[in-house]
Amino acid sequence: MSEYVLEMKEITKTFPGVVALDSVSLRVAKGSIHALIGENGAGKSTLMKILNGVYTANSGELFLEGEHLLLQGVRDAQEKGISTIFQEFNLINTLSIAENIFLGRFQGRRTIDWKKTNRDAQELLESLGLDFDITKPVGKLSTAEKQLVEIAKALSFQAKIIVMDEPTSSLTKKEIELFFPIIQKLKDEGITVIYISHKLDEIFQICDTVSVMRDGRIVGESPVKDISREQIIELMVGRAMEAEFPLRTVKPGEKVLSVKNLSRGNALSDISFDLYKGEILGIAGLVGAGRTELAEAIFGADPADSGTIEIYGTPVSIRSTQDGKQHSIGMVTEDRKETGLVLDMSVTKNITVTKLKAVSRGVVIKKQKEAAVATEYVEKLNIRTPSINQTLYNLSGGNQQKVVLAKWLFSNAEILILDEPTRGIDIGAKYEIYCLMNTLTEHGKSIIMISSELPEVLSMSDRLLVMHKKKIKGELRGKDMTADKVMQLVIE
Amino acid sequence: MNQKKVIDIVRNNGIILVILLLIIITSIIERNFLTFNNLLNVLRQVSVVGIVACGMTYCIIGGAFDLSVGSVVSLSGVITILSINAGTNEYMAILYGLLAGVAIGIVNGILISSIDGRTGEAFIVTYGMQVVVAAIALFPSNGLFISGRISPGFFKSMGQGVMPIVIFLCLAAFMEFVLVKTKYGRKMVFIGSNLHVAKMSGINVKFNRITFFAISGLLASLGGIVLCSRVTSSNPTVGLNFEMDVIAAVVVGGTQLSGGKGSVLRTVMGAVIIGIMGNALNILGITAYHQQIVKGLLIIVAVGMDILNKQIKLREMAHDTVFAG
Repeated sequence: MSEYVLEMKEITKTFPGVVALDSVSLRVAKGSIHALIGENGAGKSTLMKILNGVYTANSGELFLEGEHLLLQGVRDAQEKGISTIFQEFNLINTLSIAENIFLGRFQGRRTIDWKKTNRDAQELLESLGLDFDITKPVGKLSTAEKQLVEIAKALSFQAKIIVMDEPTSSLTKKEIELFFPIIQKLKDEGITVIYISHKLDEIFQICDTVSVMRDGRIVGESPVKDISREQIIELMVGRAMEAEFPLRTVKPGEKVLSVKNLSRGNALSDISFDLYKGEILGIAGLVGAGRTELAEAIFGADPADSGTIEIYGTPVSIRSTQDGKQHSIGMVTEDRKETGLVLDMSVTKNITVTKLKAVSRGVVIKKQKEAAVATEYVEKLNIRTPSINQTLYNLSGGNQQKVVLAKWLFSNAEILILDEPTRGIDIGAKYEIYCLMNTLTEHGKSIIMISSELPEVLSMSDRLLVMHKKKIKGELRGKDMTADKVMQLVIE
Repeated sequence: MNQKKVIDIVRNNGIILVILLLIIITSIIERNFLTFNNLLNVLRQVSVVGIVACGMTYCIIGGAFDLSVGSVVSLSGVITILSINAGTNEYMAILYGLLAGVAIGIVNGILISSIDGRTGEAFIVTYGMQVVVAAIALFPSNGLFISGRISPGFFKSMGQGVMPIVIFLCLAAFMEFVLVKTKYGRKMVFIGSNLHVAKMSGINVKFNRITFFAISGLLASLGGIVLCSRVTSSNPTVGLNFEMDVIAAVVVGGTQLSGGKGSVLRTVMGAVIIGIMGNALNILGITAYHQQIVKGLLIIVAVGMDILNKQIKLREMAHDTVFAG
């Protein structure tokens, strides 16, 4: 028997027109935690979908514990010992924990032997060191708890390999700390974990080996202890990255925006600050601190009850998003899929919507003008799309985000409010967005950047406002812009 | 790939193909079916439903719904005929009828957009409006039929000969142009696709939504006036269940009930299809009750196809994103 629990040999998978996997070989040692990392579209998901039976490879072979493996679907893979925990859980909220674990294969003949079902479920959870009420409906559990139920479900199949797809993406810091020991426990029991994550910190914390994918190939593999963070990033993006963040060189100029004593209901309380030309003003704070509410008040989506907004020293009244747009404000929302873009419309239509007037003659939209505008911005922002008529569904998160930026640049916004501008996009695309922010400020745009990722706001901002409980708790600049100082302001 | 194209065509035009089949069968059985006169007759019959359906199409593409159109058809007829009988200038009488429709539409629009209502809320609000307006239409004549004292003129010509067809088709062509080519149409599609995105793009969502309902009300009242002109009288209950025929035409035409996608020209096709189907079934000697069943099934199939198409598209999209990432 080989020391590898899993061997994938020269797997190739093509979709019409695209080679998703190009002769990929992956060996995973028994009882290890093996990280699989790569940018969106690198082929991680496709590879894992071949492993869990969703797809069949065009060529290549799978070996499980040295034995040739042919999979007939997800259930077959599960029964042979390969379970996958997807980001979207496969749980039914209205059913109990025990029912979810044994869904579709209840114990007992003819009628369900509930006693045995519940006892088995209880034992599984206890083996993970968990003390859950197994009769509780899954819908009442937190995300973290649901994840643990998924793990118990995998164990109920006698899983040899558990694939976890970004398991911590929606967990809080505390939940993650409780989650890692459980992964460790699985490892101690000889179960192999394939760990897909974007978070490099986690990989260094718990993984044994890391495989990096890019463009449908595995471009590097190493024990985690022998590789550095920078090396991994370099492998992922395919070129050396000098830094995660580009340097800021713009010197802020005159005062562009001045917000005075802005308040709204119990969402915002007495907010005052200034924004200067060419500046990136960061806003940090916990989720729910009022950051998005502030942005929406300035942009006009949810206007303030009291206070004044001055643009270039002139008081303006912003009661709606039309007003905001009129006063050269643009807002890149935190959820581009729900509020930023219509995904089943084309790149062109999504860009021109903010200033249809400029692409029309009279009331009629001119196709050529629209196309010219779209082409211009696709080139300017380096939006990677097969065509300007492509629907946005088929674009990656980073390119979608650039389309949102493009629509506000097209509207001639001078003040850009970016709410979580790099959420859910990969490292290479993040860097591009940062560089774009620099270019924009060089051209005289002013940016308010809201972000929950501290390293990002700390590195990109010229000044940083810290919000807490609907108020601005403090302003940090220069050497004071550190994570510690931010946390102090938030905790006090 | 060619096979896929054929499947796509069938999927997108399934209902039209079914109807074509029906036409072919009927025309083989009955020679009088495929005559110019008969087809003109069908067009004339569907033109009133068609006019109202054009407005409904805007409402549905814009992400809403208008159940009040049936009552507006009744009320506008009552108002116009009563005004003419009272000696009002016929143009003014028509204007009063139209204004009533617009006013009702604006009230609908204000109510719905002020609660940020979607299709569901619009359904309920306009249903309430339908009940209220239906009752108002009954007041003047205590629910009785009102015969009009109509002298030859513009009003009388509206419902005669090919005029209803001309009004219907010109209107549809104009509205399709506005939908596809203008800023207003583009905004409508954005609002119907995703209200939030439209708002966050600086579109005046509230105002635009009110206009969708106003247009729906306007065209419902125009439909009512044309109908009255044809029969030179008004029946305050003529619009009863009318909205269902209108919605059927829009749905069979393939406009998506969830908003954001649709076409006025296809609504015209939907109306014509329903008309032809009724006519063919008549010629084939199928009773009115059986016809109702066929019509109901047709609507269900149309909505079914709509949903099926969407699911297929979703699946294709899921497939695409695997490597688009």
